[in-house]
Amino acid sequence: MGPISILIFLLIGMVIGWKCFPEKWNKLNINIQLASTLVLIFSMGVSLGSRPGFIHELANMGLRSFVFAALAITGSILVVYPLTRKYLVGMKLKECDEE
Amino acid sequence: MIIAAVLCLILGITCGQLFFLPKTVEFFSQVADYALILLMFSVGISVGENKLLFRKMQEYNVRVLVIPIGIVIGSLLGGIAGSIALQMPLRESLCISAGMGWYSLSGVLLTDLIGAEIGTIAFLSNILREILTFLLIPVLAKYLNGYTAIAPAGATSSDTSLSILMKYTDEEVAMMAVINGVLCTSFIPILINFLYGFFGA
Repeated sequence: MGPISILIFLLIGMVIGWKCFPEKWNKLNINIQLASTLVLIFSMGVSLGSRPGFIHELANMGLRSFVFAALAITGSILVVYPLTRKYLVGMKLKECDEE
Repeated sequence: MIIAAVLCLILGITCGQLFFLPKTVEFFSQVADYALILLMFSVGISVGENKLLFRKMQEYNVRVLVIPIGIVIGSLLGGIAGSIALQMPLRESLCISAGMGWYSLSGVLLTDLIGAEIGTIAFLSNILREILTFLLIPVLAKYLNGYTAIAPAGATSSDTSLSILMKYTDEEVAMMAVINGVLCTSFIPILINFLYGFFGA
């Protein structure tokens, strides 16, 4: 499946949600998200587990995962903090309309 | 949800390692494609049908973009730093950090686009991002400000991290957290696909 087709389905869903999705089906939609997420994760596990030597790679992947998590969080905080100081803190958002 | 996700991953790994034949593994690869389409379609519906959110976004004007744009830029800078620190290709590193906490999508999408190893790192790093977020929100809300406490949460600020954000901040930050989560959720598949295509070309 190509990357573009994923985005097309996202956009089709957005249009249907905006135009004609009945509110009574919201719970069903949330359950579909949960079920498809769990199926995806299980399938990813199967794909991983089928690789020879996967167990040996696991420790190395865990360390790299932690580094990426820590750096992405640090980067987000370092960029968001000055932006919030400049544009959001001390200003009630609803007052923005009145400017 | 995190516990269910980790259990599913462990179960999948065990089945793939010990029980499933190559034909069954191939079958689950096709199942994952259809499940991903269904997830994208369903998430699209959730974003589109949230009309109250769109009204609030109009009410709050362009300042509503400050936090999500900051999170995107900050996460990608983290990805660049990760690429240098771990000597990994820039495209893979940026795609991993562009997951912004949405571990299920980033993991599966990158498994599909790049391979199982990068998909697993994306999955684990974004799950870790969510866990670290729970620990950081109280500290950031206390020592920096409530809005900055949304930063580590990324896309999870409208669901799993929201209850903690509500506990340690106020209603206005909580509303911004919901808007931020929806915007980041919409950005992630677009951003990962863009980065994959742009840096792969």
